[in-house]
Amino acid sequence: MTSRIEIYSPEGLRLDGRRWNEVRHFRCAINTHPVSSDGSSIIEQGNTKVICNVIGPAEPTLRSRALLDRLCISVKVIVAPFSTIERRKRPQNDSRIQEMCSSIQHVFEDAVIAHLFPRSQIDVNLYIVAQDGGVLQACINATTLALIDAGVPMYDYVCACTAGMLDREVLLDMNRIEESDMPFLTMATIGATRKVSLLQLEMKVQFDRLEPMMAAAMSGCHHIRNLMDNEVRKHGKSRRQMGSL
Amino acid sequence: MPITVNASNDLFSSTSFSSRASRPAKDEFDGEDVAMSDAESAEAEAIDVDEDDDDDDDERLFSLDHNENGDGDARVTGVVKSRHIVTPGELVTADSMWMRGHGTYSVGTKSYSSVAGTITRVNKLLSVAPLRGRYDPKIGDHVVGRIIDVGTRSWHVDIGAKQAAVLMLGSVNLPGGVQRRKSESDELQMRAFLKEGDLLNAEVQAVFTDGAASLHTRSLNYGKLRNGYFFTIPSSLVVRSKYHTFELPGGVDLVLGVNGYLWLRKHTQPLAEQGVSITRIAEEAGWEIYSDENEYISVNLRDTIARYANAIKALAYCEVGVNEARILAAYEASKEYKSPGEMIENNVKKRIAKYVLLSTKG
Repeated sequence: MTSRIEIYSPEGLRLDGRRWNEVRHFRCAINTHPVSSDGSSIIEQGNTKVICNVIGPAEPTLRSRALLDRLCISVKVIVAPFSTIERRKRPQNDSRIQEMCSSIQHVFEDAVIAHLFPRSQIDVNLYIVAQDGGVLQACINATTLALIDAGVPMYDYVCACTAGMLDREVLLDMNRIEESDMPFLTMATIGATRKVSLLQLEMKVQFDRLEPMMAAAMSGCHHIRNLMDNEVRKHGKSRRQMGSL
Repeated sequence: MPITVNASNDLFSSTSFSSRASRPAKDEFDGEDVAMSDAESAEAEAIDVDEDDDDDDDERLFSLDHNENGDGDARVTGVVKSRHIVTPGELVTADSMWMRGHGTYSVGTKSYSSVAGTITRVNKLLSVAPLRGRYDPKIGDHVVGRIIDVGTRSWHVDIGAKQAAVLMLGSVNLPGGVQRRKSESDELQMRAFLKEGDLLNAEVQAVFTDGAASLHTRSLNYGKLRNGYFFTIPSSLVVRSKYHTFELPGGVDLVLGVNGYLWLRKHTQPLAEQGVSITRIAEEAGWEIYSDENEYISVNLRDTIARYANAIKALAYCEVGVNEARILAAYEASKEYKSPGEMIENNVKKRIAKYVLLSTKG
């Protein structure tokens, strides 16, 4: 691939000064909107920022939606018009957004212990406030934290990360410029295990280069799980100090 | 061409999960040297049960991972008073002697936490109480709810739980006393008693297997609510106690629903104190218990109600558990502010909560 910008310098530094195996600055907060929702979180991965609100488990808004033996999850992704470089209003039924909704829904329907809540529904609302690559991974991570905040039983954290392939170099957790220049995949794992709950690759890549990408993405997922876990523990500790437990 | 692979449904079957314990230490995709493998080794540590094997069985109760919460209580001997915080996927115990309660799931003999919360133990039952969560109805809880639907012979009531509660026509006091028989005309005029949007307080009579609650209002302490102000706080902040109706200074009554729904109202004399004999109370209950009309409420009283509401909201904002003593302390603290409107500032809320925690410590 040829590009005017040097994505990966010969010294092994990327555009934003990271090495190939470094994730972007990761900041998260849990229980950010305690009044308006049952669980909420904010995630910032580099310049990508996502807010998540979870409502439920609650009585389904539509009776017909209710499943008799398990809970159902409905995901809504709202992209702010100011979230990207060119300001434009996206239609709600954008096929890319709908695809993202359904993949998030499938991931969490399996990660949540769904049979504990028959005939109830969880609404997940994701607000993409700023996008700079890795939107799907940020959405999945934000949903995990918000579901934990809502006290929904899960088998483990679901954590997601991206990895790309530039010629023969693997790059972990890519920003928007990197994403537009090379094939990349998004992976979500169940906690720090090797169980993959989502693997999404939208471009062509040589088969033998897929494995290193997956390995890098998986280690990124495990790293992100640790970061999220620290935040949850910190939150739990602060609640304990307030004497509400 | 987009390729999306989602997890299959059997991902969590016990066979696939058992690989967790015997996870290979080395990366299968070994081609790349991956820097972030510390996450892996940390998890491996967490999976291993404590190495130091003491005589005491309970010593082996909890897994301790590297980023432990500081206090040594976690490693409990005897009683669990630890409040040790666990997060989803964390090993709770590998010992099969324990029974697994709520908030855990088990794979083989190991049980893991499924929520972020604190471990609680009752005899041999281990459960994890989530930090936050929707209200979980228990028999005998005094709750406040709102009618969302009028059905045949029952009402659906929103009590902030995972499912709407039901209030059967047979579990309410109808005008004319307890002995009165329910007739078909009662079924037809259910909306005359309680209609959509009406608030009531009730007791949880039964909990169905799926977690839905059945309510009753067969006592004059329960029933339709009027003359007041409704607001909610997180149900986890309400401490279950013997009484949930309080007579507060300033001529205000508080119904503190266990579900975190609260009702502040003008104080009214209970029927028993109005000179009605105990045996006749039920018969005296006429249509007025289903009245929709509010009494006159003075400006002063409205002010007091707003003050109490903001005081309780201040406690909830700072995530301080709410009980009668704390509400009274918060009300005292709020007198510093001339108007209840001043109490919506976040720093004022924090000051009130701080005062309450200091004054009710002993």
